[in-house]
Amino acid sequence: MDISNHGTVLATRKLSVPLWLAGLAVAALALHYGATHATQNSPTLASFVQWTPALLHGFSLNIMISVAAIVAGSGLGLAVGGLALSKSLLGMLARAWVHFFRNAPWLVLIYFTSYVFPFELHLGHTTLPFPDWLKVTAGLALPASANVAEIFRGAVASIPATQWEAASSLAFSRRQILFTIILPQCIRRMLPPWMNLYAIVTMGTALSSLVGIHDLLDTAQIAAGTVNRSSFTVLTYFAALGIFFAYCYPISRITRRLERRYQFD
Amino acid sequence: MSVHPVALLLHGFVDATARLGLDYRFVLSDYELEPFLQGALTTVEIAFLTIVCSLAAGLVLLSMCRSRHRLLALVARGFIELTRNTPTLIQLYCAFLVLNMLITQALQGSGIENPLKPFVWVVLVLSLHKGAFHAEALRAGLDAVPKLTLEGAASLGFDRRTLLWRIQLPLALRFALPALTNNMVELVKASAIASAIAVGDITYASIMIWTQRDNVLELMILILLFFGALTLSVHIAGRWIEQRLRIPGYGHQ
Repeated sequence: MDISNHGTVLATRKLSVPLWLAGLAVAALALHYGATHATQNSPTLASFVQWTPALLHGFSLNIMISVAAIVAGSGLGLAVGGLALSKSLLGMLARAWVHFFRNAPWLVLIYFTSYVFPFELHLGHTTLPFPDWLKVTAGLALPASANVAEIFRGAVASIPATQWEAASSLAFSRRQILFTIILPQCIRRMLPPWMNLYAIVTMGTALSSLVGIHDLLDTAQIAAGTVNRSSFTVLTYFAALGIFFAYCYPISRITRRLERRYQFD
Repeated sequence: MSVHPVALLLHGFVDATARLGLDYRFVLSDYELEPFLQGALTTVEIAFLTIVCSLAAGLVLLSMCRSRHRLLALVARGFIELTRNTPTLIQLYCAFLVLNMLITQALQGSGIENPLKPFVWVVLVLSLHKGAFHAEALRAGLDAVPKLTLEGAASLGFDRRTLLWRIQLPLALRFALPALTNNMVELVKASAIASAIAVGDITYASIMIWTQRDNVLELMILILLFFGALTLSVHIAGRWIEQRLRIPGYGHQ
C-alpha cells in the first residue's frame, strides 16, 4: 500500500466510528418514532415494539453464552495449545484434541453436550446443577478451545526461531525466553484471529435455539408464531439478522484494522 | 437355513458394541436403518451440491466486486459483509421461513404449489453463504499474483479479458486453494444445520432414532465418525488438487 492510499485509510478509520455511532443514533430515533407515532396505524409495528424487550433479553443470553464460551475456550485452548508444542504423549493427545474438535460440526457438539451431559453434577457430597445454557456453553467452548490452540500454535510458529537462539546466548533460561520474549509477542499476533473467533462463537450461539434455550432466535420464533402475521414474521426474522450484524460487524471491522496495523510492523 | 452375510455382520457389530455398553440395536431394524443410510446419502448430496454451487456463487460475487459498475460492486460488498457477520441458521430461517412463506403466499393466488423444497433452500443458503467466503479467498489470491507477471502478459498483447481468464485467475486459484479447501471443510460441517428445517440429513435421521431409543451417545459417535470421514476426504481431495496444480518454485515440498 503506498503512502497516499494509507492516508485515505487513516481518514476513513477516523470517520468510521462516528459514522457507526450516527447510524446507531438514527436507528434508535427511527425506533423511537415508530414506537410513538406509527404504532397507532400499524398493528405490525405495534406488536414489534411490544416484543422488542423479549427479543433483546434473548440476545443478552446469546452474549452471555458467547462470553462464557470464549473465556472457557481460551483457557482450555491455551493449555491444549501449550501441550501440543511438546513431543510427549500428552502433546500427541493435545494434537488429537485439536484435530477432533476442529473437524466436528458445531451443531452436533451442541447436541452432544445438551443430551449426553447430566443435568446435575455430583462432587463429593454436594450436587451442582448443570443448566442447559451451561451445556451449550460447553458445546461451544470445546471447538473454540481447538481453534484457540491452533491460533496459539500459529503465533508461536510465526516468531523467528533465531530469537530463541539469540535469547539463550544472552543466558536466558528456556522458561524465561518463553514468558518474557516469545509470549508477549504472541499475544499481539493472536489478538486479531482471536477476535475473529469470538465473532464466530457469537454467531454459533444462534444454534442454542435448537436445544431449547430461549435465545434471540428462539424468541423470534415464538413471537412469529404468537402474532401469526406475515409482515410481522418478515420484520422479526430480519430484525434478528440485523441485531447479530450490528454486534458482529464492528468486531470484524476492528479485527481487520488490527490486522492491517500489525502488518506494517 | 442360511443367514445373509450382511445380517450376520450387523448382528456381530450389535453384540460386540453391547459388550461395551452401547446400544446399536437400531441397525437391525430396517425401518430405522434405511432412513439413517438415506440421511447419510442426503448429507453427501448436500455437501457435493453446495461445494459446486458455492464455487459458482463465489466467482459471481468476485466478478461483481471487481465490476466497473460501482452499484454492482457495492451490492456484492454489502452482501458479503452481511453474510459473513450473521449466523447461518438465521440466514436459513430468513430464507426458508420468510422468503419461502412469501413465495408460497404469492403463488397461492394463482393456484400453483410452491416448487421449492427445504432441500433446495439449504443448498441455496449454504452456497451463497460460503460463496461470500470463496469470493474473499479468491480476491486475496488475485492480489497475490505478482504485478510483473501481469505486466509481462500485457506486453505480449493479451487484452483485459484474456489476461484475467488465462493468466490472473489460474494463478489466483492456485494461491487461494488452501483457503478454499478450508472453506469446503467448514461447509461440510455447516451442512448439519439442514436438520433445523427438517431436511432428512444424517443429523435429522439420528434425532428421529434417538427420540425413540434414547441412545444419543451411540448415534453421536456414528455422526462424528461420518463427518470426520467426510471432512477428511474433502481435505485429501483439496491437497491432491493442490499438488496437481502446484506452481514450481512456490510453497514448500
